[in-house]
Amino acid sequence: MVEEGRPLFVQIAESVEDSIVDGSLAEEAQAPSTNELAAFYRINPATAAKGIAMLTDKGVLYKRRGIGMFVSTGARDLLLTERRTAFADRYLDPLLAEARMLGLSPDDLIRLLAERAAATTPPEGASS
Amino acid sequence: MTSQTTDNAVIEVTNLTKRYRDTLAVDEVSFTIERDTIYGLLGRNGAGKTTIMSILTAQNFATSGQVRVFGEDPYENAHVLGRMCFVRESQKYPDDATPRHALRMASLFFPHWDQQLADRLIGDFQLPMKKTIKKLSRGQLSAVGVIIGLASRAEVTFFDEPYLGLDAVARQIFYDRLLQDYAEHPRTIILSSHLIDEVANLLERVIVIDRGRILMDESTDAVRDRAVNIVGDSAAVDAFVDGREVIHRESLGRVSSVTVLGALTAAERASLADAGLDVAPVSLQQLIVRTTQHAASDNDEGALR
Amino acid sequence: MNRTLNVIRMQLVNRQTYLWVPVIVLAGSLVITLAIYGIISSAGVQTAMYGGGAQAPLWYFAVVGAQALSFTFPFSQAMSVTRREFFFGTMLTAMMTSALLAIVFVIGGLLEEATGGWWMNGYFFYLPWIWDAGPAAAGVFFFALALLFFIVGFWGATIFKRWGTAVLVSTILAIALVLVGLLWLVGRMNAWAAVFEWIGAQGALGLSLWGLLLVAVLAGTSLLTLRRTVP
Repeated sequence: MVEEGRPLFVQIAESVEDSIVDGSLAEEAQAPSTNELAAFYRINPATAAKGIAMLTDKGVLYKRRGIGMFVSTGARDLLLTERRTAFADRYLDPLLAEARMLGLSPDDLIRLLAERAAATTPPEGASS
Repeated sequence: MTSQTTDNAVIEVTNLTKRYRDTLAVDEVSFTIERDTIYGLLGRNGAGKTTIMSILTAQNFATSGQVRVFGEDPYENAHVLGRMCFVRESQKYPDDATPRHALRMASLFFPHWDQQLADRLIGDFQLPMKKTIKKLSRGQLSAVGVIIGLASRAEVTFFDEPYLGLDAVARQIFYDRLLQDYAEHPRTIILSSHLIDEVANLLERVIVIDRGRILMDESTDAVRDRAVNIVGDSAAVDAFVDGREVIHRESLGRVSSVTVLGALTAAERASLADAGLDVAPVSLQQLIVRTTQHAASDNDEGALR
Repeated sequence: MNRTLNVIRMQLVNRQTYLWVPVIVLAGSLVITLAIYGIISSAGVQTAMYGGGAQAPLWYFAVVGAQALSFTFPFSQAMSVTRREFFFGTMLTAMMTSALLAIVFVIGGLLEEATGGWWMNGYFFYLPWIWDAGPAAAGVFFFALALLFFIVGFWGATIFKRWGTAVLVSTILAIALVLVGLLWLVGRMNAWAAVFEWIGAQGALGLSLWGLLLVAVLAGTSLLTLRRTVP
């Protein structure tokens, strides 16, 4: 569940973001507490706190005094925008590099993409 | 080494040295332990971890240097010692003592002792309470120490590889209970271990000791970022790592795996991908082991550190 | 102070050391002595019989003293107890158990007085010159003796723990040499008669006080040694 290579607190933050993006954690809902995250991932609470702090700084979460951390309104849109921007870096660059090694041209890639996209139609009611 | 504010410090060690007749077990060691943080005191067997912890708890004595716990010298200082707990790997208990006796004694001497927690842990580890400690298995003996350490809720708790006798399942129980209790009752915990990857996620800071000297004293996150493994065609790898500090190198035929210090920028990662080289993460254990080995070989060659 | 008192409880965890073995040693020694007296008495002997059986539990107190250190000191360190607290707590334990032994011996002696030596003129607890000044003095004497044996055992164990076998053996030899030297000196000065006279004059109570002085010296040495001992 926890991988090497990226700082733990970043992974924690990303997993919370994942649940916001896929809808399982709704806006204005209470986010998991530092202790809950620490127990679930079996990590130091300070690390979990760092992840939460990162999300708070980003504006994804906010604090309600005496109660806990909550998901900000508009957090989902914020994250989608961020991820779309990073999409090219994160997915396309490695894709292109691998394709180049295999001798596939960008046109080959486009053709493959269209084929695969047609074969795997997204489920009804999925987000646009 | 990162500097830390001293008003948050519970332990301050300055130029601590311990010399036995012909060995230098601890060599001019200085560090600070901040409150309510989980530290890993990592290093090989014989590196000096136990000696340092013994000196901090006044069970052993420094040859020179200064130790301050809660601002005072711990030696014969009941006020300070009562707030600490040192759990050793091989602890001697009174001959006729049963776990029941040992835990009852602990409840008398540790002011924050939590019997509920102790009872829960007794159940978790399935510890037979009425059997003489002499007759317990190694795992059960370790469990006694671990339970005392956790249930004491001492402000500063040292665990000196007390889980060596515990099997993997029991160790996981220990880590889980440790984290749970630490989350609810924050305190300063210092864990020494050579099973680094097992405890890596528990640690907020790591102090690495080798041959009586401190090699590293930083936050775990900072250390995790410290190095990468570059894997691929040997020539390409060598070209890339030229000018960087290499701490480990392995080759199989034309493929090399090189551990190199220094984080990679996005641009560097891109150029690595272009060159067909893989970037693999370095686990905390690998990093510490390789840094230690690297420092040792530096030493042997007489190179400056 | 509380922590020091809790050290007593820590010591008394060792039931075998502090309770069972002393009881067994005492009972066994008593039974054997009485059996021997019985045999001698039934052979027609009428004179009073005295034996050294009562020494057994006293010698055993040296073992108790040694075990008080070796079994409990490392654990006391794990309980974050200071060496000073451990020392004084152990001394209190020693005094308690010595007092208990003294009481047992006094009661035994009174019993023997009352029954005329177990109805066969055989005495285990009641040795005349100890009881010269009365049961209270005898009690003090036994207390001091038990405590002395305890502290000798404790002292030896402390030296061993700190410096090892070689130093312990050397120290004992050195002390033995000094004692032998003193004995020779007394002989040289033909002073034996004077020495015995003086001892007799001290009586049980006087000797007890000298014994307690020796206890204090050994105790002080033990504490000083303990202060730099590693568990």
